[in-house]
Amino acid sequence: MTDQLGALTTIFTEFYYWVTVVLMFLIHVGFCMYEVGASRYKHHQHTLMKNTMLIPLVTVTWFFFGWWIYWAFPTGPGIAPSIMNESAALITDDSTFSAKWYLANSEFMAINLGDHISGVFWAAFLLFSWTAASIVSGAIIERITTFAFGILAIAIGSVFWTIDAAWGWHFDGWMLKILGYHDAYASGVIHAIAGGFALGVLVVLGPRIGKFSSSGEPRNIGPRNPWLVTVGLFLIYTGFWGFYAACNIPIFDLGPEYGMEGVTYWTATNIYVTPTTLSGITFNFLMSLSGGLLAGYVIAKGDPFWTYSSGLAGVICASAGNDLYHPIQAMIIGMIGVVIAYKLHYWVERKFKIDDAVGAVAVHGYAGFVGLVICGFVLNGYPSSGYSVGAMWDGSTYATINPLGQFLGAIIMFGVLGMLPGYIIAKVLSGMGKLRIPREVEIAGLDYEMMESAKEDEKAVSSATR
Amino acid sequence: MATVTNWIDHLSAKEVVGAVYPGAGSTETLLVILGIVIWIGWHVITNKSESEELSRLAKKRHGANDHKSNITDW
Repeated sequence: MTDQLGALTTIFTEFYYWVTVVLMFLIHVGFCMYEVGASRYKHHQHTLMKNTMLIPLVTVTWFFFGWWIYWAFPTGPGIAPSIMNESAALITDDSTFSAKWYLANSEFMAINLGDHISGVFWAAFLLFSWTAASIVSGAIIERITTFAFGILAIAIGSVFWTIDAAWGWHFDGWMLKILGYHDAYASGVIHAIAGGFALGVLVVLGPRIGKFSSSGEPRNIGPRNPWLVTVGLFLIYTGFWGFYAACNIPIFDLGPEYGMEGVTYWTATNIYVTPTTLSGITFNFLMSLSGGLLAGYVIAKGDPFWTYSSGLAGVICASAGNDLYHPIQAMIIGMIGVVIAYKLHYWVERKFKIDDAVGAVAVHGYAGFVGLVICGFVLNGYPSSGYSVGAMWDGSTYATINPLGQFLGAIIMFGVLGMLPGYIIAKVLSGMGKLRIPREVEIAGLDYEMMESAKEDEKAVSSATR
Repeated sequence: MATVTNWIDHLSAKEVVGAVYPGAGSTETLLVILGIVIWIGWHVITNKSESEELSRLAKKRHGANDHKSNITDW
């Protein structure tokens, strides 16, 4: 870097993403607290370690292949041509944003004095990957093996969510061009897919022992430590704020980017490189959080677990269009999402005997799905990209945002890339006898041996002090 | 192994080479293979130990509240 203004812009951008990564770390701290608080005492330590170990597993696989998939798959492949090289093949050529530069053995996947952005951008997306895997983790506590969860975490965190991000979040993604898909802060790209994936796993995994009576009536296995759950959700809110910032490009000149001759327009943009402001999305984050909390408190009759979860569901539901909504629109959309997610959770539980231990499928999956559909109506007619505007199904230009495209996008996120792979992988693991812990262990508690040895240690210490 | 031995020479070159880690340009693929072996190996080792632990515990057939006798004072 030889010119000072260019250097400042680059290093500001590098620092900006780095800060978002640190903030987003709080999401995982929150998820760990939340899950332990929701689990029973005899499963605490295994529950914690299950969620903790997804961090290294998703990180190393994200390094090996997850990040490469994001840059290689925007075209499908074979669905819509790239605007960079006009080919519908995997993007692995020499173009600027090619996956070639993000192979694990690339010199850009390391300290490189000529590249200040790849590492922090990689990390920002990696934190999204942890979140996707962690959403699944909560739903399946107290009965899944750590081995099976590790495989599932890698599948959702380093494969399926990154495919959906390439399709529906990348500026060159085929879903923008063909469907007019818009999902600025990941109602579908992270939340609907992770909720759908969790549901697919739950169908195979089955409920915790004792969750349903012999007549099929669900019993409440409520959170054992409401305080831990509460603080955990507060931390998730905080990290989610960092996530919003991480989904933006902080400073960008759209004039030359869009090919507008003689125009200079510096702004923050969303992930699609269309203009928004950090200030504006702050309005919407807080208003949708508030809408979720207000609705959740009413519908759950003041139950803390569901009220806090509803705050999260409110943000998730409004996230698809929170780059453009009015704050009161964001609030109302958050409220609608919460009511639908809460009702659906109990309906699915009763009807299909699905034991979602923390309501993750509802809060992330259903609220995310509904948020995408609502976005199609409220933002109907907005361009899905700044690079061009065209018709649906055209494929070479970008369709405008529309209800049908958003509905199909929601099905792709929740069903095609979420629930279906979750179901299939869980079936395979189940067939291998690796999915679920033995019944005797579930009853005794996963931590039984740890607790027994802790008691022996305590006895030894006590006898030494006599 | 050192990619840089003199920063003044390195940064005043006509084209500054960005990759400065040890073994730049020659060891990356080997490092990736090593990383993948460690990753897969971790799954193999932990799967084995988890299976052993689960079958050992399953044989004992503890009751749902047996763990309560193991709750420590702190």
